[in-house]
Amino acid sequence: METFLNILVSGILLGGIYSLVSIGLNLIFGVVRIVNFAQGEFVMLAMYATFFLSTLGIGPYYAVFVVAPLMFVFGLAVQRLVLQPLQNEPMMQIFATFGLLILLENAVLALTRGEGLSLAGPYSRVVIDLFGLKASGVRVIVFVAATAIAIALMLFLHRTMAGKAIRAVIQDRQGARLMGINVERTYLLTFALGSALAGVAGALLAPIYTLSPYIGGNFILAAFAVVVLGGLGSVPGAYIGGLAVGLMESFAGYYVDPALKQAIWFIIFVAVLIVRPSGLLGRAGAEEVGLRAEAP
Amino acid sequence: MKPPTLPYALEAPPPAFARALAAHAGLLLLSAVPLALLWSNPYWVNVLAYTYLFAALAAAWNIIGGFGGQFSLGHGVFFAFGAYAVARLHLDLGVTPLLALIPAGALAAIVALMISWPTFRLRGPFFAIATMAINEACFALANYADSLTGGPRGILIPFRAGIANLIFIERWKYALLMFCFMVIVVLIVVALRRSRLGHYLLAVRADEDAARAAGINTLAVKLKGMALSAALTGVGGGLFAMYVRVLDPPTLFALPDIGVKFALISLIGGIGTIMGPVVGALLIVPLESYLRGTLGGAIPGGHLIVLGVILVAASLFLKRGIVGGASSAWNWARRRT
Amino acid sequence: MRTVLERWLFTAFAITLSVPALAQSGPIRIGAINPYSGPMALYGDEVSRGYQLAIDEANAKGGVLGRKIELIRGDAGNPQQGITAAEKLATQDNVDIFVGTYVSAVSNAASDTALRYSKLYWDTNALAADLTERGLPNFVRSGPYARSFADISVNGTKELLAPALGKSVKDLKVWIEHEDSIYGTSIAQRQKALLEKDGAKVVGVGAHNFRAIDLTDSILRAKGAAPDVWINTGYVPDGNLLLRTMRDQGFKPPAVMLVGTGDTPETLDALGADYLNGITVVGYPRPDQTETFGPGAAAYLAAYKKKYDRDPIAPQGMTAYVGMQILLEAVAAAGSTDMEKVRAAAAKMDKPAKSYATGFGVKFDQQFQNERAFPTVVQWQSGKVVTVYPKEAAQPGVKLISLQRQ
Repeated sequence: METFLNILVSGILLGGIYSLVSIGLNLIFGVVRIVNFAQGEFVMLAMYATFFLSTLGIGPYYAVFVVAPLMFVFGLAVQRLVLQPLQNEPMMQIFATFGLLILLENAVLALTRGEGLSLAGPYSRVVIDLFGLKASGVRVIVFVAATAIAIALMLFLHRTMAGKAIRAVIQDRQGARLMGINVERTYLLTFALGSALAGVAGALLAPIYTLSPYIGGNFILAAFAVVVLGGLGSVPGAYIGGLAVGLMESFAGYYVDPALKQAIWFIIFVAVLIVRPSGLLGRAGAEEVGLRAEAP
Repeated sequence: MKPPTLPYALEAPPPAFARALAAHAGLLLLSAVPLALLWSNPYWVNVLAYTYLFAALAAAWNIIGGFGGQFSLGHGVFFAFGAYAVARLHLDLGVTPLLALIPAGALAAIVALMISWPTFRLRGPFFAIATMAINEACFALANYADSLTGGPRGILIPFRAGIANLIFIERWKYALLMFCFMVIVVLIVVALRRSRLGHYLLAVRADEDAARAAGINTLAVKLKGMALSAALTGVGGGLFAMYVRVLDPPTLFALPDIGVKFALISLIGGIGTIMGPVVGALLIVPLESYLRGTLGGAIPGGHLIVLGVILVAASLFLKRGIVGGASSAWNWARRRT
Repeated sequence: MRTVLERWLFTAFAITLSVPALAQSGPIRIGAINPYSGPMALYGDEVSRGYQLAIDEANAKGGVLGRKIELIRGDAGNPQQGITAAEKLATQDNVDIFVGTYVSAVSNAASDTALRYSKLYWDTNALAADLTERGLPNFVRSGPYARSFADISVNGTKELLAPALGKSVKDLKVWIEHEDSIYGTSIAQRQKALLEKDGAKVVGVGAHNFRAIDLTDSILRAKGAAPDVWINTGYVPDGNLLLRTMRDQGFKPPAVMLVGTGDTPETLDALGADYLNGITVVGYPRPDQTETFGPGAAAYLAAYKKKYDRDPIAPQGMTAYVGMQILLEAVAAAGSTDMEKVRAAAAKMDKPAKSYATGFGVKFDQQFQNERAFPTVVQWQSGKVVTVYPKEAAQPGVKLISLQRQ
């Protein structure tokens, strides 16, 4: 029983990691309709930025307030300079984000030689122990942050004008445009927001992992699966999808075989998708949108 | 909603079959020029062998990815099935790879049908992501299925030169083999483009709902296109197996080197055009090898930084690929005069 | 076997005829095939730094056969790139000899290509057993391989860990964890066979992917089996994540042994000196062992610091350095860079262990695997890695400290 509960806890905490990485990706995917292959590399960049700040004596939980705005600006630049000119060429957008992925990975490799870097600091050693249930402190923070971000983002999307504009664009681009919403500006804001969320993820995940230029690739496939599972553009979908994937992975790893856990949950993922193509919390029919260009 | 814009080559009515065949045969012959010029230089001949192989694989991908508009990122699975099938048939049963290519292609097509029948319910990015997930699942399974794939150790095919083994001492023979494969694939695509299936695939790409409304069985059309695409990919995997002779899961399932690369080559050359994948491969594969050879040793990842910049720049300035861009320029010039 | 070999020789001969003989002047050009990009780039680069240091040393003494030596890098991370890199080095750069390789699959394809040009492929670092078992007539491996790592880890378990735990091998419960590529898998399989032969109880074998985001499941499984010794063969990111998870989950096996990695600052930064204290690592021989065991190790360390202005990141470089030294000796003895002559000269070499900085000797078996190249066992002691096994490699006064996890 204790083992079962430990697996449950570790699955939920892993789910927090997936949720945190996926929320920004899902926002971009749902609103701008871009499959951003480079999102994992955005997280990786943020991790290295956090590492750099830590060498200056700034811990990751302060660094996040520097890294997230920086990534916001970086996202603005990428959307404005690379993706916006390709707005009517969705396949070329995939191509461009793949180019960015290769570029970012190798730029960091060239700068660091690929040495595995770890944040030094006492925080990663904190363990919360409740009657034999063990939870790493840094992972609990990630989970709490993912939950808080999901709630905050929901409030933002439902309570503010900018958020309502974003939701309008998710639901119907044409309609939104007719209602006087500046769709391009909404895209710009959303992509930057999604990048900033990658920044938050990078800063909070940095104390958990050994950094390498290729670490982004480890998150990205899972994150895509979470996004699709949760539903296009749905914030609670990404949150719950992340938890679902985390739990599946933990239970499959422990009770079946760690070597097969990826295969198992990918297959479950495809199976769920086939039964419910719009994802768990997606708007039915969203998956029909496809990779089509918007009429100019 | 206005129908999505398509490259010129898709909008134009297909010319008479004989003329199309002649035109493309001419273009293919043109792509043999580098081989003729460099045939005594084994380094470049080796690069050209990959170039032709990847041109053929991208052209095969283009059948369903370009004409059918189903952006698959899981073609690495069919590639790997073909490679493993040829290796196993050759090593265990002594079947000559030349013949083993046929069951390899058939197996890849069957696998493709099994995977695609459910996943074709998904569209656009959802389909792309699902196929990518299947690629990763198969990667893990291939690592695990020791008895079939050799697991992480992989399969090593011993060097036994001879046409029956598809193993050659001279690199130019490989290049010629790959070139022939590319010609076959492109001619199949030329024929397909004019066939009923070809038209239906284009219709599905343009507007799946409209195609269904017009009485096309869209699922059957997509499945046929996918099966053909996967079969050719499986054959390509078999040829790759006999060339490299080291088959391990990271080599066969690596997304950036295999599954995603087919799509990238098609995109840069001109997706949904007949010669686009060939042009794309002729550009990308030698460029990548050249950059790796000159910069790879100097700065870690240096050549990939350059390649990344080129990819981003290419997407911005060649929005419809080289062939798409060239043909609309040609069209524009013709209209002006 | 014999007929395969003959066919190979014939092939090599046929190609030799078709390639015009190059003038035996100018520098000896050596092509170093390694991953210099991709996830293994750091280690590929470290290995080639080792080659460069050995070459600098030889050039300072006037080179070999009266010719200077030049190193040319060929970047390859998979077999396909291995072929391309070998083709380029053979035909564009006209190298005389190939060395490598941090990735076994690359070595496999590249050495095959080298044979097409009748060039020697001198491997210093690849681990897969089948590389030498192929019987290629141009292949030599001067360094330890998967089997050596498995053997030393099992010997270390028997001779170091079991006595320190106060148990006989027959009472020892061992969990074998490994990453799931050929490197971890082949070592783990042999470890299991050897340990079971000696009567130890292998309570579980776990495989994981080195790119995994979470390894709690692997740790909880091992924890449930309550082993005395937990052995992991892996890379740096997964090794660190396993140790961190172990700490979080309160899994404290009496002894922890890491194989292959885990002896570098990359692990120290991640876990801290206190936690690592007592953990043993089976790794490539390190520069900090005694001069009697590894004559020249201190000089290597000094030369590395001078050239690259820092400590070596990983010990792989010194094994590459020694491999290059052995190669150059064989070339000098052969009086040529010709693959058959160098192999014949290498076959005659007979140097006792403790002849080189890594403590290696030289004696090639029939498949041209160096039988006198072994990894060593080190232990983390107060934030430093200290060589503890074999005994003669340990600095005087060094003792195994308590293995017990706090």
